[in-house]
Amino acid sequence: MTFGALILKNLLRHRVRTLLTAVGIAIGIMTVIALGAVATGARQAAGGMLQSGGSDLLVAQKGASDLTFSSMPTRQAARLDRRGDVAWAHPVLLDVSKVGSNPYFVAFGMRLADLAEAPPPLVAGRVPRRADQVLLGDRGARDLGVGVGGTVEIQRTRFRVAGLFHVGTTWQDGGAYVPLVSLQRAARKPGVVTGAYVRVAAGRDAGAVGEAIEAADPQLVAIADVDDMAEVDQGIEAIDGLNLAISLLAVGIGAIGVMNTMVMSVFERTREIGILRAVGWRGRRVVRMIVGESIAVCLIAFVVGLGLGALATEAVTLVPAIGAVLEPAYTVAVMVRALVVALVVALVGAAYPAIRAARLLPMEALRHE
Amino acid sequence: MSEIAVEVRGLVKSYEGGRIRALRGADLKVARGEFVALMGPSGCGKSTLLHVIAALDRPDAGHVHVMGVDTDAVRDLSAYRARTVGLVFQLHNLLPALTASENVQVPMFETGTGRRERRRRADDLLALVGLADRTHNRPGELSGGERQRVAIARALANDPPVLLADEPTGSLDSKAGGRVMDLIERLRTERGLTVLLVTHDPGVAARADRTVHMLDGRVLAPAAVPNVPLALPVMPS
Ligand SMILES: Nc1ncnc2c1ncn2[C@@H]1O[C@H](COP(=O)(O)OP(=O)(O)OP(=O)(O)O)[C@@H](O)[C@H]1O
Ligand SMILES: [Mg+2]
Repeated sequence: MTFGALILKNLLRHRVRTLLTAVGIAIGIMTVIALGAVATGARQAAGGMLQSGGSDLLVAQKGASDLTFSSMPTRQAARLDRRGDVAWAHPVLLDVSKVGSNPYFVAFGMRLADLAEAPPPLVAGRVPRRADQVLLGDRGARDLGVGVGGTVEIQRTRFRVAGLFHVGTTWQDGGAYVPLVSLQRAARKPGVVTGAYVRVAAGRDAGAVGEAIEAADPQLVAIADVDDMAEVDQGIEAIDGLNLAISLLAVGIGAIGVMNTMVMSVFERTREIGILRAVGWRGRRVVRMIVGESIAVCLIAFVVGLGLGALATEAVTLVPAIGAVLEPAYTVAVMVRALVVALVVALVGAAYPAIRAARLLPMEALRHE
Repeated sequence: MSEIAVEVRGLVKSYEGGRIRALRGADLKVARGEFVALMGPSGCGKSTLLHVIAALDRPDAGHVHVMGVDTDAVRDLSAYRARTVGLVFQLHNLLPALTASENVQVPMFETGTGRRERRRRADDLLALVGLADRTHNRPGELSGGERQRVAIARALANDPPVLLADEPTGSLDSKAGGRVMDLIERLRTERGLTVLLVTHDPGVAARADRTVHMLDGRVLAPAAVPNVPLALPVMPS
């Protein structure tokens, strides 16, 4: 018999209890997985917004609570390319509206010349050359059932599909590139854009250029990656915060569940622990046995929770409002986070009963009824 | 090392804040290889004495020296419990979820014995106590006498020089008790064990080299009791 076998034997003595404890923790793990996958998906989606056609920076209005609330005159955005450290600056208007069944159809309003200079990767047709043409994402085309030459209605304005693109982010591929002036008119935002995609001059450091732009105009913010995004979008922070809060909640609830089980199981076995101590087991080995049992339960819960988490995430993305915007991302980081949650739950839950059991004198434990 | 295997001096142990005085200055010496029977009325402190010698409990005062180890001077007594003394309880105290063989292996986890070696030694010990064919049975599937023999095998798991037994035959009928005593006698001669055995049965005590009597938490002086049992029936061996 190995030490591990002894641990498993102890767990198998109360199969139902072990199973119920594991299921309880698995639900916590499921939450961590589902939320982590969705939050990571949201981050990746937000990251996609920061880039278009090989740009390095997105320059927007400082202090906006959501990127789509950022606004500045088209001329101000376009003027950024007069700077020596900037290769090009393409003004962009982000407009979200309901198109077809997608409540979050994102239209990128860009000047035709800019679109021709730095287009997204095309999969069909070509870049629009007229004010009544759009470049539709391949996913949007599928959802709407249109192809090149078909028509889409955005903000009650009809456009003809000149080509299809694919960038790999769900919400972007669900939207469209629209000629800037047409979108400004359709969305009733004449002369206004959200910001500008900026490509820095060859040999320049994007971060340094961003700082220079911010220094030149305190109203502006230059974003290079998702971590800077909070400056213009509280959504990412909100999701990250929610994610952390729910992980902690899962740890807390899980740990109390495990502790409850372990306290009960250790209490019932006080006499047996007395026997183990009487035949020479050190307190440390008793602790290892109890913690081992707890870890085993939590690892079972982790595996079950992975499966449940994937199911839950798929169920969540069936909601059109969520499925249209993001794709859950099962990254290694999400799994590791769930595993860490499982292990922390195991250790926290077992620590108290284990230490208490190990502290007893053998005779105190043996006298226990 | 001295010729004394177990030496107990002035042992005091009380319970419930001193209201119950289980040991009131007990003294005892057991020579190496000696087999001593410990007798006395119920409640006189026999089990308490054995538990203190086995380091399951700490005395309030007094000293315990076993095979050169002063239990007072050792901070972690686990190694002492594992290697120096083997204890057979008044009730067998086996782990119900484990088989006989696994129960015997339990003490070997602390002594760095490998998995195969644990298994082999447990099976050897069970063969030694006449249970070669019951290694895979759990305590619930064994008779009282068989359980007590498993407990003896477990007490010998790490080959300790001293065996402490608290009424090992107390819950057995005379036939099963006789087998257990035969076993203890045989082990003692084969392995040179020092045995301290508590019993209420004069027939069992008669098998020992010497009988020591306790009364009210003290061990009576040898002169106070004749070594030969009084005219009580002696069990044929
Ligand atoms: N944990 C305890 N709490 C309170 N009193 C105790 C405790 N353990 C033992 N005692 C008391 O200490 C005294 C000695 O008990 P002990 O078990 O050593 O007696 P014993 O000689 O083994 O008796 P028996 O022959 O009935 O087994 C008894 O009065 C008993 O009630
Ligand atoms: Mg007793």
